[in-house]
Amino acid sequence: MNTRAPSPPTAPIALPEAADTLLRHFSADVREAYTRVVATRDPAAADLLVLAIVADHRPRPGAAITDEATLAGDLGFDSVAIAEMVFFLEDLLKVNVSNAEIVRVRTVADLRAFVRHKLASLPHA
Amino acid sequence: MSRTAVVTGLGFITPIGHDRAGVTASLRALRHGLAPIDFFGNPAVNVKVAGIVRDFDVASPSWRDWRWPARYDFPRETLRSLAPHGLYALCAVEQALADAQLTRDAITDGATGLYCASAGSAFLLHHHVAQMTAARGERCNPLGVVSSIAGTLNFNLAAHYGIRGAVGGFVAACASSSHALGCALDDIRLGRQTRMLIVGAEEVNAETVLPFAAMRALSSSADPATASRPFDQSRDGFVAAGGAVCLVLEEAETARRRGAPIYAELAGWGAAADGHSIAVSHPEGAGLASAMRRTLADAGVAATDIDYVNAHATSTPAGDRSEALALGSVFTAAGAHPRISSTKGLTGHPLSMSGAMEAAFCALAIRDGFIPGNANLTAPEEACAGLDLPRATLGEAPRLVLNNSSGFGGSNVCHVLRRVEP
Repeated sequence: MNTRAPSPPTAPIALPEAADTLLRHFSADVREAYTRVVATRDPAAADLLVLAIVADHRPRPGAAITDEATLAGDLGFDSVAIAEMVFFLEDLLKVNVSNAEIVRVRTVADLRAFVRHKLASLPHA
Repeated sequence: MSRTAVVTGLGFITPIGHDRAGVTASLRALRHGLAPIDFFGNPAVNVKVAGIVRDFDVASPSWRDWRWPARYDFPRETLRSLAPHGLYALCAVEQALADAQLTRDAITDGATGLYCASAGSAFLLHHHVAQMTAARGERCNPLGVVSSIAGTLNFNLAAHYGIRGAVGGFVAACASSSHALGCALDDIRLGRQTRMLIVGAEEVNAETVLPFAAMRALSSSADPATASRPFDQSRDGFVAAGGAVCLVLEEAETARRRGAPIYAELAGWGAAADGHSIAVSHPEGAGLASAMRRTLADAGVAATDIDYVNAHATSTPAGDRSEALALGSVFTAAGAHPRISSTKGLTGHPLSMSGAMEAAFCALAIRDGFIPGNANLTAPEEACAGLDLPRATLGEAPRLVLNNSSGFGGSNVCHVLRRVEP
């Protein structure tokens, strides 16, 4: 049998059902980071989560995910791939992202900053 | 017509086999591919059997959860926009290209086109619409459209393989992939394309299958071995099935020049509608009879030339009777007595992919020299009087074969395949 999914977490972190479905194939570190993001808006946890999501969605699997890496140029994202990743973030974090916000995100650093900003604007859980 | 077309490659993900050898062995041995199925864990659902797709797990709406045979490897960029039946289709196309001795580079120059048929994925469409509803319209999956609407097969396969020839989809319910194959033949005859990939695929899940139960079209039998029994007096509806089939159809001289394996010539096709009912066949099979006559004329052959007919017969009371009467009017009335069988006793009825699947079966029968029997046919219904319906598979090598398909709205399509002498 074949699967493209990353290895499942060895020690599953309990998550709400919707998030569990989205993060089922992510590592325990990432799932734990999600719980911290939801509970405390921890910026470091948000960074870890964003980088894992970029890694999972990048069309060029071997491309290095640095702060300076551009989503389109370096990581191979086209507009559909960006829309797919943004939808994943929206669905996971329960935020809405406008087209105007998306087009301002060029690099991985831009995306990290954008997600931190979005989270800061949300009421705490 | 100076340009002719031949079948040079086949790929199968079907209830009776996941490759050519397995499918051929099942057809020869009349080994069925039906199995018990459970919907919603609800024993009150009156659909107990289906033609399932083994070795795949596509029950989740997320491709990340899917499992499929390890010999197929597809990139994330392809998987992300697939429906479950799109995964089946990719596997079938991989087989067909290898079978036709074609590399992926050989199909990207614009001379190769792609025609597909499926009903789309009601399963994924429902999932995406439910997500949208839950978000009160604020969010939708950006890949929801291309992964789930009718057309998802051609969108995805054309992008994955870099097809630059004619690409399109056909929506005529259970005659869809037969239309695709016929129009592909025309494109080759007219010189528009040198080679065409024809793909049919369907899913087996509650969203695809159970609406047919609402139409009272499905068998309520719980016995996989006998639930699908085309032409039999005791038939009580069709058994839904899924999977994918791909045929490579190629301009004959091009195929010969490159030494491609040749199964058969696709010698002609024809279509005619009943003009009668949205769902029920014409009671005397008038549209199907007309489609058969048009097909024979297109191929330049007489009814008496046909050695074998692969019938559409799905095991519904009205449809099988209608087809039997149509066959009688075209063949028996002309003094012709071809062997006739429906292979749906083995496969169940895979809806849109039925026509392509059975055209592929006909190509196998011609190349390998056999005629599949009628599984589960014990007592033919009275409209079958005069028809030659062998129960067992015969070791006869058919030279000319007719393939029938019918779909909702009375859409009828037929093909003639002819043995190519070495």
